[in-house]
Amino acid sequence: MARTFLGALTVLTVSLSAIGCGNDDRASIPVDEFGRCADFEPLRQVYWGDTHIHTNLSFDANMQGTRTSPEDAYDFARGEAISLQPYNEDGTPTRMAQIDRPLDFAMLSDHAEFLGTLKVCLDPTSASYDTPQCESYRASLEFNADPGAAEGVFITVNVLLSLPPQETRYPALCGPGDAACLEAGLDVWAGVVDAAQSAYDRSDRCQFTTLAGYEWSAGPGSANLHRNIMFKNENVTAVPYNYFDEPYVEGLWDRLREECIDADTGCEVLTIPHNSNLSEGRYFENEMANGDVFTAEYVEARNQMEPIIEIYQHKGASECLPRPGSATADELCGFEIIPFSNLAWTNLERITPPDPKGFLRVAYGEGMKHEASLGTNPFQYGISAATDTHVSASGFVSEDDFKGHGGAGQPNRFLPPPQGFPDIEYLSPGGLTAVWAEENARDAIFSAIRRKETFGTSGPRILVRMFGGWDYPEDLCSAEDLAAQGYEGGVPMGGTLGPQPGPTSPVFVVSAKQDAAGAPLQRIQIVKGWLDGDDYQVKVYNVAGDKNNGATVNLRTCDTQGADSADLCAVWQDPSFDSTQRAYYYARVLENPTCRWTTLQCSQADYNCNEWDFEACKALKMNQESSYTCDCCDPAIGLRPDICDGVSCDDPGALPEIEERCCHQVEPAIQERAWTSPIWYQPPR
Amino acid sequence: MLRPLLHFFLIGGLLFGAKAIYARNRAEGPEIEVRVAADASEAEVDNAVREAILLNEARRYRWDRTDPVVYTHLVRNMRFIEPDSPDDDPTLFQRAVEMNMQAHDPIVRARLLYRAGAALEFVPEDRMPGREELEEHRRAHGDRFEREGRLRFQHVFLSRSKRGESLLSDAREMRQRLSELGDAAPTGLGDPLPGLRSEQFATPSELKDEYGLELAKIVEEAILGAWRGPATSVYGLHFIKVIDVDPPYVPALDVIAAEVRADRLREIRKELREERMAALRQAYRVQIERSP
Repeated sequence: MARTFLGALTVLTVSLSAIGCGNDDRASIPVDEFGRCADFEPLRQVYWGDTHIHTNLSFDANMQGTRTSPEDAYDFARGEAISLQPYNEDGTPTRMAQIDRPLDFAMLSDHAEFLGTLKVCLDPTSASYDTPQCESYRASLEFNADPGAAEGVFITVNVLLSLPPQETRYPALCGPGDAACLEAGLDVWAGVVDAAQSAYDRSDRCQFTTLAGYEWSAGPGSANLHRNIMFKNENVTAVPYNYFDEPYVEGLWDRLREECIDADTGCEVLTIPHNSNLSEGRYFENEMANGDVFTAEYVEARNQMEPIIEIYQHKGASECLPRPGSATADELCGFEIIPFSNLAWTNLERITPPDPKGFLRVAYGEGMKHEASLGTNPFQYGISAATDTHVSASGFVSEDDFKGHGGAGQPNRFLPPPQGFPDIEYLSPGGLTAVWAEENARDAIFSAIRRKETFGTSGPRILVRMFGGWDYPEDLCSAEDLAAQGYEGGVPMGGTLGPQPGPTSPVFVVSAKQDAAGAPLQRIQIVKGWLDGDDYQVKVYNVAGDKNNGATVNLRTCDTQGADSADLCAVWQDPSFDSTQRAYYYARVLENPTCRWTTLQCSQADYNCNEWDFEACKALKMNQESSYTCDCCDPAIGLRPDICDGVSCDDPGALPEIEERCCHQVEPAIQERAWTSPIWYQPPR
Repeated sequence: MLRPLLHFFLIGGLLFGAKAIYARNRAEGPEIEVRVAADASEAEVDNAVREAILLNEARRYRWDRTDPVVYTHLVRNMRFIEPDSPDDDPTLFQRAVEMNMQAHDPIVRARLLYRAGAALEFVPEDRMPGREELEEHRRAHGDRFEREGRLRFQHVFLSRSKRGESLLSDAREMRQRLSELGDAAPTGLGDPLPGLRSEQFATPSELKDEYGLELAKIVEEAILGAWRGPATSVYGLHFIKVIDVDPPYVPALDVIAAEVRADRLREIRKELREERMAALRQAYRVQIERSP
């Protein structure tokens, strides 16, 4: 049975509104040679995916003991169990993982930098096989390798990604012209594309969509400037351009434009920034590769190449930084903030304050300022979230089964399996990207991402829909055809409202439902940011639900109690709209509080804080070991009011080390959430 | 292209060739002795024999002397044993071989087994599956490529959060209204919910993920044309009328060629592994020694 064409006949039934300009291309989703999916829906439906997945092809995953392949990552996403490190000497795994619900789509994003190098070092027929670097690498993989030495090799390899752009280079083992690694990398990249082709369901059931991709891993000075490169289909660039090939993002975009977008090969591509929280504030700085400030051309290129950004993943959230007195922060900005400023400090677990300039909410304000002067907003990002798993566990976001990151953080490759937490306490299980698309096929998914009709969640499948317009009825939440009216009268999430057609303020409708397997919803918020002259301000409105709904969580048992809202909806009109001011509006949907993964593991573990010895635990950790007593009794986990109550964190560095840990606590109870792509308002020019 | 061929000739070809050589003259096949525990099961014996043969093959091709991993490892061992030795690496390696270290070292053993295993699985060009073979594979193993059956159904939802305490009485009333609806669509009935459509096309497992088991069960029963329910979910109550059943099916090869090829290649590798191993096993004369 081929895909049907029935859906195509109905797609034109809803006309576009002249009021909004939301890049709405519902009438133009191409039909591939296999036709439409059987459940094609012109008013779009939600699909869940993970766009940040590493397998054994990534150097860091590989060196941390990951043995699962791209094929395994796709199998996992479709619901099959996979093995996890550590492995016994005979190769049997000591841990397994399985997702509770399959994903609809997935993109692998293995680090492009060492794709070829790993292959060269593992191929006995390669000329570079016997080089000292390859020997060290292989020695670090041996079953009985010394953990300290293995970590040394891991750090040595990582350092190559931290060099300044002008000094980047392939490892010496790649030989003259880096030919050995470049050639081997082409083979590996071809295999990645093949694996995506094999796993893509092209039948009319459209059960699973794959997108070929990789990660460009620029980290000058350990500042994370990484991008995931997403191709729409099997027409890709021959080379997976990496930091050594193209050390500046402008160069990367140029290559992608020349060899993909403009190449007339059917190739389409976009790049997805991530972990701006670990960029030392550099992700959104107003500076091009040559050191000059942004030009209109640069801003346009960035806007075109980077429609969405990753707001949350294993290595923390990048929405906003909680800062007393800040005009851009709010009371819920503390969610999964990791206390590191860059990648190296994350790997080494050295507390360093993150730079507020690396957070999205600041970038949104800066972007509007650029738009005011250059005509285009370089940071007009839509929202995604992902795992960044380094153990091939695509979309494995369950808070109650976190197995660890597998790249940075705590290595789990040596026996015995983790005796305490599977990773450092500040990492977390990551999130999912949801897209509103007509069907689960490459064209539709890619188009949804391109027009930013996307939202991210911190893991649960909280479903949220948002539209903005000028005259939605107050009772739109009760309308059976909310989506039809939403599109007809305005723009969906990710869209842009043009100049105000009349005297009214914009109206937004946000409708959300809880994850059937998750916690009930507490409230919907709309976060508004606007530019008053050069003054950037943010205000958060609670538009549905109730912060004080009485829902509670017991941190010892993790049982929850209280109010039960499975779905929430609100029609909200901006009460302080100024038609001359640029603005954005995004929805944040919050679950009732639940235990964080650390608290969940402690609630199920056998530990005794009377036996806790801080110094002994530190020594154990130096040896890459731990125990639940060490982990759960650490003040940083947030379960030690006996130590932390009354500790003043005005000057953490002046406190005894144990008390200082109180000042860098994770939240023992979290509010899982969804963030929509903003709807932007553009005043008349 | 060159590298796979080279790989085949150097590794796979040698092992594969062993079959032919030994088959021509069984008497020339190597004789090995395999020691197992007195109470070893049949499977344990088979595994021990398999490993012994592969290790012997690896040694026959001198991988224990030429493999760079083995070399590095043995040199490292020697440097550990003789930290002050002024000898260079080749000399130390030679001394390790003279000590027969390669015969007993677990890393060397694992490495040789890995290389031999990879050689057993190598797929030569003439075994790469063509279109006909893929079509045959698709037909023979339809279960592997089958798409889950889907059902088209109408869906009326009553929200718990909107209706509160009147939910059950509203549900009774709705059941009555639906029973009087006949074939008409339930337009305007029930409450909206994000993502919910009044007519949907989904698999039972998708419904289970989205609304829970109770709703999925009703749909899976696939009773056509009758309103069923209410089924409970965390959101409220649901009424369902299945209007069409699209049974499970196997897509055409054009649609799933890449998927079928990947599956067939996995199988070919397994076949080659077994064929080559069986040939080697047949060629070898194996003495089993059971020791307490």
